[in-house]
Amino acid sequence: MLKFILRRLLLIIPMALVVVTLTWGLIRAAPGTFYDSEKPLPIAIRANIEKKYGLDKPWYQQYWMMLSNVAQGDFGDSLKYQGQSVNEIIKRHLPYSATIGIIAYLLALALGLSAGIIAALKQNSLFDYGAMAVAMLGLSVPNFVFGPILVLIFALGLYVVPPARWGGVSSIILPVITLAAIYAAYIARLTRAGMLEVLRSDYIRTARAKGLDEKTVLLKHALRGGIIPVVSFTGPALAALLAGTVVVERIFSIPGLGKIFIEAVLNRDEPLVLGIVAFLSILVMVFNLLVDISYGFLDPRIRYE
Amino acid sequence: MAGLDRDRIIATLLVLSLSGIVAGCAASASGKYFGLTTPPSENVLRYISGAEPESLDPALPNGQPEARILMALYDGLIEYHPATMESIPGIAESWEVGEGGTEYIFRLRKNAKFSNGEPITAKDFVYTFRRGFKPELASRNASLGYYIKYSEAYNSGHAFVKGTDGKFLLKKDFVDSIVNEAESKALPLAGDSEFHKFLDEPERLTIPTVETDKVKLLDSDPKLKAAVEGKELVPVKAEDIGVEAVDDYTFRIKLYQPAPYFVGLLGHQFFRVVPSSVIEKFGDRWSRPENIVTSGAFKVLAHRPYDELIVVKDPNNWDAANVKLDRIEFYPLDEQTTMLNLYKAGRVDGIYNHTVPGPWFDQIREYKDEYLLHPENATEFYVINVKKAPMDKQKVREAMAIAIDRDAWVKLKKIYKPLVDIIPFGIFPKYEEAREKVYSEELKKQGSSLDEWKARKFNAEKGRKLLTEAGFPVQQSGSGWICPTFPVDDVSILYNTTESNKATAEFIQAQWKQNLGVTIPLKSMEQRTLLPMVNKVEYQGFTRRGWVGDYMDPFTFLYLYYSPQNASATGWWDPKFDRMIDEANSTVDEQLRFEKLARAELYLNQQQVIVPLGVPGTSWMKKPYVKGLYPNPGTLHAWKFVYIERDPAKWDKDVDNILVDKDPVVENQLKVIMASQEEFIKTHQAVKTAAAE
Amino acid sequence: MEETLQITKGTSLWADAWRRLLKNKLAVFGLVVLAFMVVLVSIGPPILQWLTGITPDYIPADGDLLKSFPPSVQHPMGTDEQGRDIFARVLQGGRISLAVGVISTVVSLLVGVSYGAIAGYLGGSIDNFMMRIVDIIYAIPYILIVIVLLSVFGGTNTRVLIAALPAIVAGICILVAGVLLAVNLYRRLFGDGLADGLFNTLKRFAFGALEAAILIALIVAAAYLVSLTGFGSSIAEKYGSVFSLGMSQIFLLFFALGLVSWLTMARVVRGQILSLKNQEFVLAAKATGVSTFGIIFRHLVPNALGPVIVYATLTVPSVMLSEAFLSYLGLGVQAPYASWGSLAADGVKNIAIFPWQLIFPGVTMALTLFSLNFLGDGLRDAIDPQTRKF
Repeated sequence: MLKFILRRLLLIIPMALVVVTLTWGLIRAAPGTFYDSEKPLPIAIRANIEKKYGLDKPWYQQYWMMLSNVAQGDFGDSLKYQGQSVNEIIKRHLPYSATIGIIAYLLALALGLSAGIIAALKQNSLFDYGAMAVAMLGLSVPNFVFGPILVLIFALGLYVVPPARWGGVSSIILPVITLAAIYAAYIARLTRAGMLEVLRSDYIRTARAKGLDEKTVLLKHALRGGIIPVVSFTGPALAALLAGTVVVERIFSIPGLGKIFIEAVLNRDEPLVLGIVAFLSILVMVFNLLVDISYGFLDPRIRYE
Repeated sequence: MAGLDRDRIIATLLVLSLSGIVAGCAASASGKYFGLTTPPSENVLRYISGAEPESLDPALPNGQPEARILMALYDGLIEYHPATMESIPGIAESWEVGEGGTEYIFRLRKNAKFSNGEPITAKDFVYTFRRGFKPELASRNASLGYYIKYSEAYNSGHAFVKGTDGKFLLKKDFVDSIVNEAESKALPLAGDSEFHKFLDEPERLTIPTVETDKVKLLDSDPKLKAAVEGKELVPVKAEDIGVEAVDDYTFRIKLYQPAPYFVGLLGHQFFRVVPSSVIEKFGDRWSRPENIVTSGAFKVLAHRPYDELIVVKDPNNWDAANVKLDRIEFYPLDEQTTMLNLYKAGRVDGIYNHTVPGPWFDQIREYKDEYLLHPENATEFYVINVKKAPMDKQKVREAMAIAIDRDAWVKLKKIYKPLVDIIPFGIFPKYEEAREKVYSEELKKQGSSLDEWKARKFNAEKGRKLLTEAGFPVQQSGSGWICPTFPVDDVSILYNTTESNKATAEFIQAQWKQNLGVTIPLKSMEQRTLLPMVNKVEYQGFTRRGWVGDYMDPFTFLYLYYSPQNASATGWWDPKFDRMIDEANSTVDEQLRFEKLARAELYLNQQQVIVPLGVPGTSWMKKPYVKGLYPNPGTLHAWKFVYIERDPAKWDKDVDNILVDKDPVVENQLKVIMASQEEFIKTHQAVKTAAAE
Repeated sequence: MEETLQITKGTSLWADAWRRLLKNKLAVFGLVVLAFMVVLVSIGPPILQWLTGITPDYIPADGDLLKSFPPSVQHPMGTDEQGRDIFARVLQGGRISLAVGVISTVVSLLVGVSYGAIAGYLGGSIDNFMMRIVDIIYAIPYILIVIVLLSVFGGTNTRVLIAALPAIVAGICILVAGVLLAVNLYRRLFGDGLADGLFNTLKRFAFGALEAAILIALIVAAAYLVSLTGFGSSIAEKYGSVFSLGMSQIFLLFFALGLVSWLTMARVVRGQILSLKNQEFVLAAKATGVSTFGIIFRHLVPNALGPVIVYATLTVPSVMLSEAFLSYLGLGVQAPYASWGSLAADGVKNIAIFPWQLIFPGVTMALTLFSLNFLGDGLRDAIDPQTRKF
């Protein structure tokens, strides 16, 4: 087990560097520069800018410079936001996204798990059908539709929460709900399916036959197995959560990492894009590792050599 | 089971949509004001300024959002009048122009200080200007100041050419220009100096030092090459540019040719004064919140990027006694719907221009006490790549320009007014007078008339005729038109991904289809991809352009088409036009100059290198309790005039008249400030008349 | 006594699944609604045009009609702010949304199934390598890929580049084959040690050298092919008129979205193959001398299709949602074309004053996605009632 973990950990940095290389290549392939604007620049000024950022050197030199810096964790300064280093920009905006993302996922877990478990237990009941229908709705309505509807009702109709911007506890209620919706739906369905499968399985029958009470059966045995699909969903869920936060941050004008990232790509701000991509890739890889480890604990049939 | 589900689903959907509609109706129920309208409890203004500012260093950013913020943080020689944007005294109490029109003297007040208490002197302005042109700084605004002698040479890394006899080659020997070197006499009250003598000399020739550019230039001009041969190249230094601190409180600027509108340029953030000691100490990190030192009415309290920038009143500012707000909170947002939602929920007090979405116009217009729609110093038009067929034919261009129903377009865009010229109307009244006169004369000479000119707003019949004459016959087909020979594959309408541009592009495409029978394909591109393509004139056909004036003079619109390296993105250049402009700009009499500019504009217009569409209105909102904030043509506010009015009886009513109604508080403040320049002019006049007698 | 033999009609796996599906009322509902939608968006626009003359991109010339009108008899779903009929646009949008969903899914199917099957069957270090690539691509935020793709290929180069696609794809295939050969080569040279005698070692090196030469030649050929844009543009000349600019952009969108969903598809297929490859029928096929290619694509893949179909049916709605998300950011379908997602994204902005701009496209889209999800669920239950995999 330990060897497995170690091997995966060692791979993370090289993989991140590969991701950075690919991203760098993609950005360089894209036309457009970060300093072009509608009022075009005189040639001399453009030359000045290119010299300042080392853009007049051959591409392989630029690549090597970038790579050696990145390997040491130095992404340099943002091209658009002069005088600010990429690391500090990421550090500054991460808390916004992290707060909303984590709270949203916890909310989604709480809602989804409870709805899924109860629906599985009360299969074919009113609650089951109702919950699954609502879940279906959550999967079919895009978040950029759901969010503004919430804003319309609660922020502009009833004035109880602000319609946008970060500031105070009341400002994260709507963004969190908007973000959590689709994941709660997914988790509810997954949990229900997982629980149903587990409840039918042999080892649960064994547990019941042994005479254990329903509660113990549920919590100690069934739950573990039933959650496996949810656990395996965490990996892709995290990746999708990142996409979701981009939309939510745009709807509610929250200065999170998603918004910064989109801006950076649209601005062709290369160091910032590379920094965020590297950071997010490492995050995703670490997360996937944690998920894979937890598999081992949840399902004794799975073991890693 | 399925039935239950389906019912449940339908019910959910119904409830959702119903509540949406109900909430929507509730939300848009019209009271007198748009949403919650209560002044903030503190003496603070919450303002949405636009996209997140790139930097708080005034020399670097060239965008509107930054301009608004930087005006609060930095003071310049002059300031913009809050309603008209004329030049009013800033750190300079008074100023004057020399006889030749190339020398300016600014007399600074003695009590101006930076936010850290250090005094501001003429030396600081010299530093600011020299720094702005530093090539390593790579400022995008440097070209605004190129009128200053040798500033362009310094910024481009050029060098003087010095002969073995110690004499420098002079520009007038190699470059044709009808602008005569005006030797201005040293003004009274400003001392002479070695440096001043150097500036007064005829302009020296400069050539590039970068090998490739140098070789290219010399190869194209054998006379120049011969003259440069064997001579020493002396790089142009910062100390060579035409700015001088005559003494601590007298600042002199020397231009290489007259620019009658030059003082108006100096309100731009590029020319506002920055603290040399702080910059030398911290380098490019000097503008971070923990290091920054400013010179304006407000100073930075906190900066959370993409969230808010909070500035507070600077007690060290020379005019601090008259600054009424304690604090301004700038919110960087650029999504229109979000902005208006925040405004409606009463969480912001004012928004920048062009923020009311077109479709909302009819509803928002009802709020007469808050919605500001006044003419703007800007135009919207389509540029044409005149190098690629079939757009290289003037008749084709004219045909397509005239076949757009601008009145209908205006109804679509809501906040625009139709335009058939280059320079917008409603901004420069004196210029428009001159233009009327000149156009009537010239058009009559051509056998046309001003009315016919104005009818270029829309004439489908004439468009079809022109297109047919150009070699692409338009035929009737059913109830519409077709033009089968027109090469639609060689033309397209290129636009970036914003909705308003998309709407315009779709509209124009439909217009050409309906009126000329040609279906021009649309092409949309992300802004960053589109810009280089447009700037290098590689696109096909048409692309949308908007131009905001950099200063309050009509030339800022004609400037786009001037010089072989012009920034018009059309690939067009005409030496005749350049000559007309040069002639106009070296004319000292204002009205005469306007007439010459009008002639140039007519000439340019008839070449039809662009398709003028309209002049936008400012289209923004502010709460009625916010006073001193005016819909001036540039939507650039001098924040020290802004205050919160707590007595509802004095709130703004019917803001269509806001530029005409005089606010006593603001007027008083203006009177005090403008007094110094007015005094100076009066005494100066008196001296001149006395001298003449 | 006579014994009557009852001859029961044999059923196949698929017929069984179909019967089970039909029993599931929700799934049938989904199927019916979906079929209805498909028919509506296929024949709707021409019928509408024939009946009323309204097209989705008709902008009225009369300035007063350039407004957003609420639903009326003339415009059953109202108009958007440029005066275009929303019903017509919803129909056209449906064509594009469904097309995007289906075609992207097909792209991801083709790529994902092949990739996953090859990786799963070959196993070992190849599998490792291939899955690592999947991990890496997974770690790149896909919006970056899409933005860059839409930028680089969205200009005047679109036609040429699309036409050059066959060359590029061929080049990539050759490269992949080359890599596989390289791995084989490596194994051959260093895999089994040098213990079996000089002659054998020499033989191995000879073969290795030959393979290395072929490998180098292949790589060079691949590079040359890819660089043959001359080849591409000659195709563009001949067939370029088929692609109008707007359609090219949509085509690209299909491609871009498909490129993202193949990753999970590959993983799913690989998982299936992994569990299937040790079963007897595979051993039997090997024993009878079926080639590797044949085993993968003629035996394993058909048996793994169950979860693949289910996943495909669930990919369609997720791709449609992704397209909507891209449209919200301004990168999706461009004017004059529209998709449900782009219509909804546009409508959201005016929800407070013109709610019908959002409601109609939104409800239509939600209904279709609903149906697809129900259908997917039903298919899953029908094809493999014992499995409740994600």
